[in-house]
Amino acid sequence: MSDQSPRGHTLDIVMAGLSKRRNAEKRFRFFGLASIVLGLVFLLVLFISIIGNGYSAFTYSNVALDITFDPAVIDPEGQRNPAALAAADYDTLWKASLLKLFPEVTERQEKRALNAFMGFSADKRLKDMVIKDPGLMGTTKTVWLPVDDTVDLLFKGKLGNEEELNERNQHYQSWIKTLKDQDRIHSSFNREFFTNGDSREPEAAGIWGAVVGSAFTLLITIGLSLPIGIAAAIYLEEFAPRNRWTDLIEVNINNLAAVPSIVFGLLGLAVFINFFGLPRSSPLVGGLVLTLMTLPVIIIAGRSALKSVPPSVREAALGIGASPVQMVFDHVLPLALPGILTGAIIGTARALGESAPLLMIGMVAFIVDIPKTFTSAATVLPVQIYLWADSPERAFNERTSAAIMVLLAFLILMNGFAVYLRRRYERRW
Amino acid sequence: MTTLEKSTMEKPFHREHRSTVGTFTSDNPRIVCRSVDVYYGEKHAVQNINIDVGRHQVIALIGPSGCGKSTFLRCLNRMNDTIPDCRVTGDISMDGIAINGPEVDVVPLRAQVGMVFQKPNPFPKSIFENVAYGPRIHGLATNPSDLEGIVENSLRRAGLWEEVKDRLAQPGTGLSGGQQQRLCIARTIAVNPEIILMDEPCSALDPIATAKIEQLIDELRTLYTIVIVTHSMQQAARVSQRTAFFHLGHLNEVGETAQVFTNPQHQLTEEYITGRFG
Repeated sequence: MSDQSPRGHTLDIVMAGLSKRRNAEKRFRFFGLASIVLGLVFLLVLFISIIGNGYSAFTYSNVALDITFDPAVIDPEGQRNPAALAAADYDTLWKASLLKLFPEVTERQEKRALNAFMGFSADKRLKDMVIKDPGLMGTTKTVWLPVDDTVDLLFKGKLGNEEELNERNQHYQSWIKTLKDQDRIHSSFNREFFTNGDSREPEAAGIWGAVVGSAFTLLITIGLSLPIGIAAAIYLEEFAPRNRWTDLIEVNINNLAAVPSIVFGLLGLAVFINFFGLPRSSPLVGGLVLTLMTLPVIIIAGRSALKSVPPSVREAALGIGASPVQMVFDHVLPLALPGILTGAIIGTARALGESAPLLMIGMVAFIVDIPKTFTSAATVLPVQIYLWADSPERAFNERTSAAIMVLLAFLILMNGFAVYLRRRYERRW
Repeated sequence: MTTLEKSTMEKPFHREHRSTVGTFTSDNPRIVCRSVDVYYGEKHAVQNINIDVGRHQVIALIGPSGCGKSTFLRCLNRMNDTIPDCRVTGDISMDGIAINGPEVDVVPLRAQVGMVFQKPNPFPKSIFENVAYGPRIHGLATNPSDLEGIVENSLRRAGLWEEVKDRLAQPGTGLSGGQQQRLCIARTIAVNPEIILMDEPCSALDPIATAKIEQLIDELRTLYTIVIVTHSMQQAARVSQRTAFFHLGHLNEVGETAQVFTNPQHQLTEEYITGRFG
C-alpha cells in the first residue's frame, strides 16, 4: 500500500464505489417518488368515488303540476282558520293533478305507484303556500313540487339500467319520460340538503343540523383546549422545574395522546353525564370530551414549538433584565406561535372528524331539530355520515357521500387557515 | 508524558494549580468575588476563584477552551441560574452588596449588569425595537420621544447610529455580523447598566468589525466597568487593563495586563500567552 501514491489509490477506491452510491441514490429517489405517486393515486380514487357518488345529492328533481286548490278538499267547513288549513289533506291535490296528467293509469297497482310518485315534502310545500296566502283557494296554479327520492334517483340515472328495475320503477321510468317530453320535470339546486336537519325521508334529510352541532361542539373544543393547552405547554416548557413530578406529567401527556378516542367517550359518559349530570347528546358534553382528546396534541405541539425557539433569544431577553414572563410573552411565544397554532388547528381538525367518542355520549341519536344552544340535543357531521351510511334507502347513499364532501370541505378550510396563519406569523428574520 | 507536563516540571515557576498568583485584589473594586465555586451537577467546573473587578476598568479573562472563564463570567449576572443543575457557591458582591444569594432579585441585577454574548443575538424585531425593549420593560422612558432619545443615544455610543439611522424599522437580524454585535451592545447600554459582561464578543466577527468593537470597548470604559472573555491574546492586550488567566477551572494568575503579558508569574500563563498550548 505504501508504494502506491496515496492520491491515486484513494481515487481508485472512490471511483470503484461510485456507481454503487449513485445507484443507491437513484433507488431511494425512485421509491420516494413511487410512494408519493401511490398516495396521490389513492387520494384521487377516494375523491373520484366520493364526488362521483355524492355530487348528485346537491340537486333534486321537481315536477311542475297544475294544482287546483279545491276548497272542498282543503277547507270543507269554510272556516279558513289556520288550524284547519294545517290539518287538511294536501296529498289529494297533487294526486288529482298527477292523475289528470296520466289518465291511462287505472289499474290498482299502477295507481298506488302513481300515488307514491311525489315526495314526502310535496304536501308540506302546498300547505305552506295555502297558509301563507289563503287567497289561492279555488284557483289553479302551476307549482314545482319535489318528487319521491326513488323517482329522483331514476331521473338522475343513479338506479342502474332498465332491465334491473322492478315493475314499479319501470312505471316511474315511463312517466318520467312523458314528463320530460312535456318539459315538466327538471333538477334544481337542493336547498333542503343544506338547510334541513336529519330526516327518515331522504329527500327531506339535510346536514344543517349536523353542521350546527359540529360548530357548537367545535366552539367549545377550541374555546377550552386552546387556552388550556397553550398555557399548559408554556408552563411545562418554560416555568416548571424539571423533577420527577414533571417527568411523570410529561410521560402521561404523551400517553394520553395515544389513548383511543372511544375511551375518552366512555370517560365523558362517566364523568360529565353520569357524575356532573350534564345533558346527554349535547354539544357541551361533546365539546368537553373532544377537548380532553385534543389537549395532549396541543400541549405536545406547543411544547415542541417552544423548544425550537433558539436559546439565544431567551438569553438575550434575560440578559437585559426581562423577567421570565416578559421573556416568554415578548420573545419566545411570538416565535413559537405559528407552530403552536398549526398543532392546535390540526388537533381541532381531528376533533371535527371524530365520531367514536361522541357515540358514547349519545350524539348518535336521531335528531331532526336544528340545535339552538350548547345544551340542546345535537349530532355532528361525522356521526351524521355514520347514520346515513347505515340507512337502507338508496337515496341516503348519495347523501352520505355529499356529507363527506361537506366535512372534507370544512377540514380543508381549517387546514388552509392553519397554513395561512403560519405564513402570516412566521418571522423569517 | 506530554510536553506540557515535561516543561512544567523542568522550570522553577509556580506550578501548583490551587493558588492564584499575582494581585487579585483591586484598590477600588466594583465586584468582589471570594471562593467562588461552580458545579454542573457533579462536575466542579470552576474552583475557588478570588478576584476583584476594578471600577471603570476592562478586565480580560483568558484561557483555553473549557477552562471555566465563561462560566465564571455568567456568575456575575446570575445567567447560570438558567442552566438546570448549575450551582454557584461563594461570595460575590457588587459595591458591597451580595448578589449570589437566592434572595437576590435577578431582574434589577441584570439591569445593572448587562451582557453581550458570543454570537450576536438580536431579537427578531426591528432595530429600534431591539434597543427600545430594555428601557421599555424597565420603564426608563416616560414618553415616546424620551424612548427615541435613548435609542439614538445608545446607537450613537455603540457607533452604529450613522449606519442604521435611516432604517430603524428594518429587522435587526438583517444587519451584518459586526453590526448585529454592535446592536447588541447598544441594546445592553440602552438600559444604562454599570457593568457590561462580554463573552467573546468578537469570536464570530472579521478583523475590521473586531477593530470597531475593540475601539468601542475602549470608549465605553470611561462610563462602565467591563469584564470581557476572549480567546485572542492580542485583544486582551489591546483592550484590557487587567488580565486573568484561567486554566481547568482554576484562576492561575491575575494582574495588570502589561505585567501578565510581559512578565507572567505562572508557568502555565507564560506557556499559554506564548502560544505553546491552548
